[in-house]
Amino acid sequence: MTECSGNLLVLGIGNVLMGDEGVGVHVVRHLEQLGVPPGVEVLDGGTGSFLLLDPMQRAGKIILIDATLDGNPAGTVRRLTPRFSTDYPRTLTAHDIGLKDLLDTFYLLDHPLDVVLFAISIASLQPIGLELSPEIEARVPEYAQLALAEIGSAIPQMS
Amino acid sequence: MARMVVDPITRIEGHLRIEAVVENGTITDAYSAGTMVRGFEKILKGRDPRDAWAFTERACGVCTTVHALASVRTVEDALGITVPRNAELIRNLMFCTQYVQDHVVHFYHLHALDWVDVVSSLSADPQKTAQIATSISSWPKSSPKYFAAVQQKLKAFVESGQLGIFANGYWGNPSYKLPPEVNLLAVTHYLEALEWQKEIVKIHTIFGGKNPHPNYLVGGVPCSINPDEVNAINMDRLNYVGSLISGAIAFVEQVYLPDLLAIAGFYKDWAAIGGGLKNYLAYGDLPTRGYGQPDYFKFARGAILDRNLNEVYPVDGHNSGEIKEYIEHSWYSYSSGESSGLHPFDGETEFNYTGPKPPYDQLNVEAKYSWLKTPRWKDHPMEVGPLARLLVSYAKGSTEVKDVVNEALGQLGVPITALFSTLGRTAARGLETRLVVHWMKGFYDDLITQIKSGEVSTFSRDKWEPSTWPATAQGVGLTEAPRGALAHWIKIKDGKIDNYQLVVPSTWNASPRDPKGQRSAYEASLIGTHLANPEQPLEILRTIHSFDPCIACAVHLYDPEGKHLHQISVY
Repeated sequence: MTECSGNLLVLGIGNVLMGDEGVGVHVVRHLEQLGVPPGVEVLDGGTGSFLLLDPMQRAGKIILIDATLDGNPAGTVRRLTPRFSTDYPRTLTAHDIGLKDLLDTFYLLDHPLDVVLFAISIASLQPIGLELSPEIEARVPEYAQLALAEIGSAIPQMS
Repeated sequence: MARMVVDPITRIEGHLRIEAVVENGTITDAYSAGTMVRGFEKILKGRDPRDAWAFTERACGVCTTVHALASVRTVEDALGITVPRNAELIRNLMFCTQYVQDHVVHFYHLHALDWVDVVSSLSADPQKTAQIATSISSWPKSSPKYFAAVQQKLKAFVESGQLGIFANGYWGNPSYKLPPEVNLLAVTHYLEALEWQKEIVKIHTIFGGKNPHPNYLVGGVPCSINPDEVNAINMDRLNYVGSLISGAIAFVEQVYLPDLLAIAGFYKDWAAIGGGLKNYLAYGDLPTRGYGQPDYFKFARGAILDRNLNEVYPVDGHNSGEIKEYIEHSWYSYSSGESSGLHPFDGETEFNYTGPKPPYDQLNVEAKYSWLKTPRWKDHPMEVGPLARLLVSYAKGSTEVKDVVNEALGQLGVPITALFSTLGRTAARGLETRLVVHWMKGFYDDLITQIKSGEVSTFSRDKWEPSTWPATAQGVGLTEAPRGALAHWIKIKDGKIDNYQLVVPSTWNASPRDPKGQRSAYEASLIGTHLANPEQPLEILRTIHSFDPCIACAVHLYDPEGKHLHQISVY
């Protein structure tokens, strides 16, 4: 079993080729520009699924940022603390099952995760393209600030 | 007669939906439809060709590195760039890393549960599991105590009610043939494989700078070699790569292969099911004397027709008479007409959606019914993937491939024709993993020899600057994704991308019918399959999963009037 390093991982998930679907990645890219405190790892997870097992296992706490098709108005952001994969919003869009498979494996490996999920609602039927929709694009800095605030409250508990 | 709809939801790469006609429990016809549009051309047109790899790499979360490889090769082919030997070796190591990780994950985490009953393993005798394990392998983690501990963990997991990844299995279905002890062995290795796979992919981070989505470079690889430099590929890192490769060889030889053969022994009837198409296509890969010399690839290039292993036809990605894409049943339009086929150099991507507004019950399969185009090689439908690769190399006389294949066939006591099946596809994936993991060691040794002789070049700068390029150029980059033949085509004009087309493995295997009405691989492979219990279509999972689609499915069953009967989720 890999030892937990106690680090904080901010993980953006999504496919940047599919418009708003990639919002999680856009947010972590924005965070990288803003800068994060030492000991915080920021990772563009893409649609990496099983490839993310190692960085997630090494982290003591994970802030996950992902798009969701939960029927809420586009741009809505919800802070969730899911325990099992079944607690996650039903459809994490195009990378849905890969991520859920991965989350379940942590329970199988006796390594429950401490996850805070920022689920950002997007409209369905994303056209292929690199650009975010104007309404999501405008709110990326706000999502990044939410993640920064979460980092700020998590750090005192980490060491 | 019931019409059955297999409607896969997106996994990573796209949606897939299969509609099958079921008569007296047997599939008599099938239609495969991709329900998510691709449009790379629109993203790439007008961009710098040297950047294309970074976009195409995001096409799929599983096949990341091979899309980047196909892309840099496409540009190199167009501009006449030859990469240094070190770059070829490092690219080969990246390629092999992906194969070994992807095939192991596919076998244990995406396909094994079609054959392994997780719940049955709870009633296994760990003592007997240990006996079986030590009789087939020298893998050290094989004590009764170890298997008993895993069994306890599984029990707790199942009793928690959070079955998670195990929630969708048809546990207890009579089509599961393994004794509880073998089920426990396989489930134990399911967990070990999870831990193991995360080690091997560190090779991507070492050579590609990051993972997922490692870096590539037109003209070479984006890492410098300096045995003594902290930030370069130095001896410490190379030694670490060497130890990861040794670990991979041990895992493949002592866990994956013995498990595969042990499980296959209980399912030999599947050597006569799911064969489908009789034509196989492989572009080949793993160059040993440069990308321009396919005769020296480890995986051979060629096409086999009608399962005739005595003849392998040459394949040329540049020849406009060979690979063409059709759209008669796809939601696109061509300026040259609905029934025409276009070589990817001249490919067009005009959307023309004529299907029903989602959600819908059934597609009109007489008309257009898929977002996938239909690729053909000399107008033949072709299967691509591990089986095609092994058959082409076998038929071309590769002794390495023949030895590994014949040894396994001998152990199972089946003839080579057994490979033309669902079981054959799954076995081929494991056998090629065995080949690849040893080739990987060879590439690594060659790289070390190069470096020790002072050769550290990893990048050819000659044609990096667009000012050195011709006004127009075109190229093709052929490779083999773990799931099968993958190619990118590019046209460059005035230093920018003028056209870019991808033909991915799933397009070959999962495409709709062509204008002649010929089925592609998925459609053909399901015909004749008997469903023991249409409410639990395990047989469909076995065959579709044997192709390793990077998608998940929901299966819908319909009665003859199209009424929805049943839905399940298929991963």
